[in-house]
Amino acid sequence: MASAQREGRPRHRLTLLVLTAITLLTMDLRGFGPADTGQGLVRDILHPVTTLAATLFSPIGDAWNAVFDYDDLEAQNNALRAEIDALRGGAIGAEADSATLQRLLNALELPFVEDAETVTASVVRGSVGNFDGHVLTIDKGSRQGLESGMAVVTAAGLIGQVAEVDGATATVHLLSDSGLFVGVRLVSTDDVGLGHAVAGDAGFFLVDQGLNWPEGGDPTFLPEIGSAVVTSAASRYPADIPVGTVVAVGSGEDELTMQVRVELSNQIEDLHFVTILLAEGVDQIPLDPVVPSTSAPRPVDEVEEVDG
Amino acid sequence: MSALKLTLVFVATIAVQLSVFVDVRVSGVAPELLALLAVLAGFLAGPERGPIVAFAAGLLWDIYLPTPLGLAAITFAIVAFSVASLEAGLYRDSPLQLALLSGLGTLAAVIGYALLGEVVGQRGLVDLRMLEIAVIAGLMNAALAPLVAPLMRWALRPEMPFRSSAAAQ
Repeated sequence: MASAQREGRPRHRLTLLVLTAITLLTMDLRGFGPADTGQGLVRDILHPVTTLAATLFSPIGDAWNAVFDYDDLEAQNNALRAEIDALRGGAIGAEADSATLQRLLNALELPFVEDAETVTASVVRGSVGNFDGHVLTIDKGSRQGLESGMAVVTAAGLIGQVAEVDGATATVHLLSDSGLFVGVRLVSTDDVGLGHAVAGDAGFFLVDQGLNWPEGGDPTFLPEIGSAVVTSAASRYPADIPVGTVVAVGSGEDELTMQVRVELSNQIEDLHFVTILLAEGVDQIPLDPVVPSTSAPRPVDEVEEVDG
Repeated sequence: MSALKLTLVFVATIAVQLSVFVDVRVSGVAPELLALLAVLAGFLAGPERGPIVAFAAGLLWDIYLPTPLGLAAITFAIVAFSVASLEAGLYRDSPLQLALLSGLGTLAAVIGYALLGEVVGQRGLVDLRMLEIAVIAGLMNAALAPLVAPLMRWALRPEMPFRSSAAAQ
């Protein structure tokens, strides 16, 4: 009898652990505040230790990258050399190009950095686990005014949004995650739609919701190839942050919706510094004034009196 | 089992995972050090205490992962319990068997984590890449097990002598 009780005890303990884990999962999935706060607190407490470890062990990572990523580095060097050659070749036209670019920027009105209060952060580390390839950690947190949902950009445009915010650090959910939807505006047509990255298609973004395919596929209503795509005013981010440029336009399977393939303006794979726009991550859809609901219509004479 | 020693081992492990193995990866896959601690806890501390230690290791790992809190904890506790519940006569004090068990335990932990993640609504965890991650992380953990096992033995020793010695006696 006592032996059977002893044998059953580990199972009871495991059941208790499973129930505890399910409770934690439920609380976290339902956005229970204290659970987030507790996690942030632990990360803040361990932050000095992890920072020290990163400093101590960085030579190991550098050596590993030097040995095993040599081919990538060589390819990057070759690409950079090719770019330098192209820049040398185009030096004569640089001044004119610069003026054209400035005119383009003026025409597109992309003041996303000039008008917003910003914080610059350095990337502490990339993904830590094996299933979180679209997350990175930055060295700024709530002490610098960061809040969940804020837009994260580089000079080239949007790269993602702030996800978890601790006191000293924050994690950034990158635009390369196909689960992160962004409201965008096609500058050449002023159409607004929702887009997301496509898994397995790095560097590209697909706008496949909210756009209508013109009747008969009239090309005058289609966005121009090479035209800019920016965040829309109705998105959760400040308006007009560059996202990328249109590279292909087609109709959806139903022949009613339009799908726009966009080449992202940022190289998300190799980031060292990012800028956070300190604007709240909330929907910026202009809301109509609230009209009180009444169960009975107003008397006609009252309406006339008000209108008159 | 000393809580202070275990805390030290956990903190040292998470620090190494967050620093060294952000860069040191094979085909983009890092070893799952916290899963390794969980498997070793099941192996060394038995079915009563092993899952509790594994649960704590999973909870610490959950804090740094974007998936919901409790996902790694529940997976690690079940894996540790399964490892601990294997027939005691199976255990021999051989590094090879320890490495094999650590590899298979990690494989199970990674697959279980992904499957449970999909059940609670996390997308994109279950695919061919998951199998690749599970196999590579399992192999890496198997290689690291002889290095990490002494630490866990040290942390667990005072109250719970490790099972291979008990079986030998």
